[in-house]
Amino acid sequence: MISQSELVNTIEVLDADTLQRWVEWGWVLPGCDTGTLHFDPSDVARVRLICELHYELRIEEGSMPVVLSLMDQLYATRRALGALSSAVAAEPADVRSRIASLVDRQRHSE
Amino acid sequence: MADPYEILGVSRDAKADEIRTAFRGLAKKNHPDLHPGDKAAEARFKDIASAYAIIGDEAKRALFDSGKIDATGADIHQAPPRESYRQHAEAGPGFKYDRPWGNGPGGADDDLFAELFGRRGKANLRGADINYTFAITFMEAINGAKKRVVMADGKALDITIPAGLKDGQTMRLRGQGQPGVNGGEAGDVLVEIHVEPHPHFRREGNDIVATLLVTLGEALAGAKVPVETVSGSVTLSIPKGSETGTKLRLRGKGVPSKGGTGDHFAELKVVLPAKPDDAFVQSIVDWEKQHPYDPRTGQGVKS
Repeated sequence: MISQSELVNTIEVLDADTLQRWVEWGWVLPGCDTGTLHFDPSDVARVRLICELHYELRIEEGSMPVVLSLMDQLYATRRALGALSSAVAAEPADVRSRIASLVDRQRHSE
Repeated sequence: MADPYEILGVSRDAKADEIRTAFRGLAKKNHPDLHPGDKAAEARFKDIASAYAIIGDEAKRALFDSGKIDATGADIHQAPPRESYRQHAEAGPGFKYDRPWGNGPGGADDDLFAELFGRRGKANLRGADINYTFAITFMEAINGAKKRVVMADGKALDITIPAGLKDGQTMRLRGQGQPGVNGGEAGDVLVEIHVEPHPHFRREGNDIVATLLVTLGEALAGAKVPVETVSGSVTLSIPKGSETGTKLRLRGKGVPSKGGTGDHFAELKVVLPAKPDDAFVQSIVDWEKQHPYDPRTGQGVKS
């Protein structure tokens, strides 16, 4: 957990006002303790990513929600699929192979 | 490691602008967070970032061009190690960024498993809870208070602290958390409240315990003295011959509570005069000679 100012000091291109704005827009969801924000490792990595997208890849702030939204959906989907895969992996071999052949047929039928 | 100019696909005499443009183009195509699961893209992105770390920087580019650093000089060339967002985003269930981005078309509001497990139609998902901690003073906890807290997103919430709240108690503000998905109800805000200690009062359940300082005369002869309680000042009768440690109860002067207001316990502490003169001290010593008493009797102290 690090504070807002520690985070700003860690990332060279980032200034406090910008970070504040991103938090207000909900791009990052830090924890809040008696009015003080604290950022866990996933928040820090996300802020770094948004910095890369904005300062290196020049994605405008106006377009960022689209990028973040698509990215969050993609990760949510991958996690959901991961959960499904684990559930399938726990099934006996015959069930697994039946599911595998059904999935194959679905993907190649059209 | 390959030549950074080759990696970025620019000529050796490329201008800084060209290098930057080339880097951005390649980075967009290969950024690991835009291509989760694509190991090849991730490896390419690392090379691209490392190459740009050298020739995207005027000083390092000059060193590289003059052969002072080579393309495998690890500590200079490699992009600073950074914790990838992806390892967090794919880490496990309940990730907090797994949330609605509006309910419009393409919003993250489809439950992949709705159809699979017989939940036809789109699932209503409840929004996430938001945890918050908050400190109030001892007296605010006793008497109750109205507090305004500003959440991370700038939204202000008014909290009514009920009288008699205990340290560490959590209050649930229904529907103030993250919005729900697809008509699902919003999450809650959970506020854990910490009560700051008081310099004078100590809380034991719904009772208040506080030390009450009395003079030698008040303790010996009894007296009526003012006592501060959480509900104001009251007069307390000190019985004749009270000792340090005597606890006197003021009924109903403790913490207000639905199950019956607690009591205030005044714990007496006898304080000797600050500057006793010789005559006073001698008179006590003389009196004790006439009326000897041993307070240590029965305490196992052998004289």
